[in-house]
Amino acid sequence: MSFLPTDEQIQIAEGAQRLLAQSYSGEALKALLETTGRYDSGYWRSCSEMGWTALAIPEAYGGLGLGLIEMAMVADASGRVACGAPFLITSYMASQALLLAGAEAVRSEQLPWLASGDKIGCIAFAEDANPIPPDPQVRCEGEAVYGCKRGVLGGVHADVAVVLASGARGPVLVLVDLSAGGVTRRIVNTFDNSLGVADLVFEGAQGRPLDAACANSVAWDVLDRAAVVVAAAQTGGAEVCTAMARDYATTRRAFGQPIGRFQAIKHKIAEMYVANEIAKANCLEAALRLDNRLPEFTALAAAARLSATQAYDFATREGVQVLGAIGATWESDMHLHMRRARSFASVLGSRFVWEDRLVGALETSS
Amino acid sequence: MSAAILAELETYRATARSWLAAHAGAYGAAARTGLNEAQDLELGRRWMALKHDHGYSGISWPRDMGGSGLSPLHQAIFAQEELPFDFPIDYFTISLGQPAPIMMHYAPEVARRRFVKPALRGEQIWCQLFSEPGAGSDLAGLRTRATRDGDDWIIDGQKLWTSWAQYSDYAVLVARHDPSLPKHKGLTFFWLDMRTPGVTVRPIQLADGSRHVNEVFLDQVRIPDTQRLGQIGDGFAVAMHTLIIERYAAGADETGYGPGLGLLLHLARSARLGPGAALDDGRVRSAVAEAYRLQQALATARSKAFLEVANQREPGSEGAIHKLVSVRARQRMSELAVDLMGPGAPHRRDARAKHDWVASWLSAPTGRIAGGTDEILLNTIAEKVLGLPQDHRPDKGIPFSEIPSRG
Repeated sequence: MSFLPTDEQIQIAEGAQRLLAQSYSGEALKALLETTGRYDSGYWRSCSEMGWTALAIPEAYGGLGLGLIEMAMVADASGRVACGAPFLITSYMASQALLLAGAEAVRSEQLPWLASGDKIGCIAFAEDANPIPPDPQVRCEGEAVYGCKRGVLGGVHADVAVVLASGARGPVLVLVDLSAGGVTRRIVNTFDNSLGVADLVFEGAQGRPLDAACANSVAWDVLDRAAVVVAAAQTGGAEVCTAMARDYATTRRAFGQPIGRFQAIKHKIAEMYVANEIAKANCLEAALRLDNRLPEFTALAAAARLSATQAYDFATREGVQVLGAIGATWESDMHLHMRRARSFASVLGSRFVWEDRLVGALETSS
Repeated sequence: MSAAILAELETYRATARSWLAAHAGAYGAAARTGLNEAQDLELGRRWMALKHDHGYSGISWPRDMGGSGLSPLHQAIFAQEELPFDFPIDYFTISLGQPAPIMMHYAPEVARRRFVKPALRGEQIWCQLFSEPGAGSDLAGLRTRATRDGDDWIIDGQKLWTSWAQYSDYAVLVARHDPSLPKHKGLTFFWLDMRTPGVTVRPIQLADGSRHVNEVFLDQVRIPDTQRLGQIGDGFAVAMHTLIIERYAAGADETGYGPGLGLLLHLARSARLGPGAALDDGRVRSAVAEAYRLQQALATARSKAFLEVANQREPGSEGAIHKLVSVRARQRMSELAVDLMGPGAPHRRDARAKHDWVASWLSAPTGRIAGGTDEILLNTIAEKVLGLPQDHRPDKGIPFSEIPSRG
């Protein structure tokens, strides 16, 4: 397959990269690490002003009606600056859940808010290490939700959540207004605080069940798409770390020469580049498959997820190593990416989950 | 690229595929089973001639050279489609991949007319006398001497790892004409008839048992100056040219020329491990997932390079990445497959790497060395793509004869 991006897509990608690079501040991001409950409001304003929140929402609901390819391009730009808010991703996931399973009334009420960025969405599917628990502990009784979802990305600030719960006849997806009664947010102090992670405790919170005939399968569809968006962000981050390592290796001298002349260093950086190229290829191919309704999207989304996780982990782990002691200081921006790489590696489920997802897709298709 | 061009390429692909399928029975894997190498080579020659009759040999070469005058994309499409059938084409891959295009490029008109078409038809085979006992990755360190003698050159030395030399009619050769020059500058390129007195070929058995590579001894081999290709001293540049000619576009294979993922899935389903199928085991699933994600990415990158070429853009470093990643992955997959087959994994001497895990595993190390080692490829990526500095090279710029240990 593969494709070459259109001029319009290149404009979106380059525009996002330029804008975010201009407003990047490593110091501001580090300040966000030291406190809970705060995010980079400037970045989030850009997301709505530039229309990025509206990208993948149909025009009928106030969106731009574009696809996963464009979404991935903006996510890539956000990943490059280790952006200080998770809402582009979390609102995307909520909007996809509503598009896949929401009744028309719910969609036409909620999606315009998510498209404009006036409201922030999130999903609360995961329990323990399962991104989609087969048998959720959180319960939905009639329209009342009970139980606790731990470690919800964006949970500190989100206005609405799509919650995966156990209903009377198996798992259901429920839309919960997080500002209404019966919801308590417990902010979690994490190693990557701008991601706004919170435990959401539901004590009879009012929920609106979505229409999904098979909630788990819809939840997986949402995660597959989100996996590609996150993979793009991971890949963008990995490319920045690779560039940092490369730049350092060409200027830093030891034993009378630039350290990039030693194969122990240059091969490491070449391997980073190779891993990034693998991740990019899978990411764009997966996005292309979804946007054009081509087969094998699930396996490719998992391939993108696994490749990007590997690439970002490798680029940060070894990027610090190339920079030496300076790379391990608070002052270096490398740890912003090291933290983000770990957050992203776990946020939609670990690689073990996605390896199963990938092979499961191959098993059913062959 | 216009939709019309893409559509034309896809039509070409469909036509090629059905033509290949129609001949698979007579020339493909089944027809080759049980043949000895001489018989297999004969089958291969007939296959090449048939391909040429139908415009499928030298697809992207000029018509007046016996080619079909189509684009490198047509060539790549045909190579992709041809690969799974396992036709006997190995004997001709190098011959047509490097020496023949070099002859087309550098040889005088009369030699081109004489040699290119027989090579395309598999009637004649060419080999490449490059590597030596002391010059592999560091090709420019070669020591075979070319000494001027009137209108002739006298060649003395030893070449190594020369693929298919035992069946070759002709060869291209790079030799050192002047050891007082720095190593890259003192080299000159020639072609020669392998029957010239003083040429001795001795096959070398590789670890997998195969014998396609050779030592070639050159003892006072006299060749006329008219068989020089390029200027005196341009040998290294000509050699580099041969190494990059369409190697990637001509048909890189995501499996690293090993068995496909389908065979691994099949094996992992049928092999039992613990209470169930091996494919139910998380560690096996992990390995399968890795093979899939790497192969898919390479296939996508190749398609993208293909589109770039079709749009008159230069593709990037996909070729180096492709070889590096695909062969390493093949080696790991093959290890896993042999593990799953257990100690009774059969070793069939005539099995080929494309279809057999043991054969693939045994020959995978060669894949990581031949045609650019993993380490050289990493250097290429680091230096050419990322702009990292070249390794420390103490032999740079000094006369070859003064390089320590060369003397």
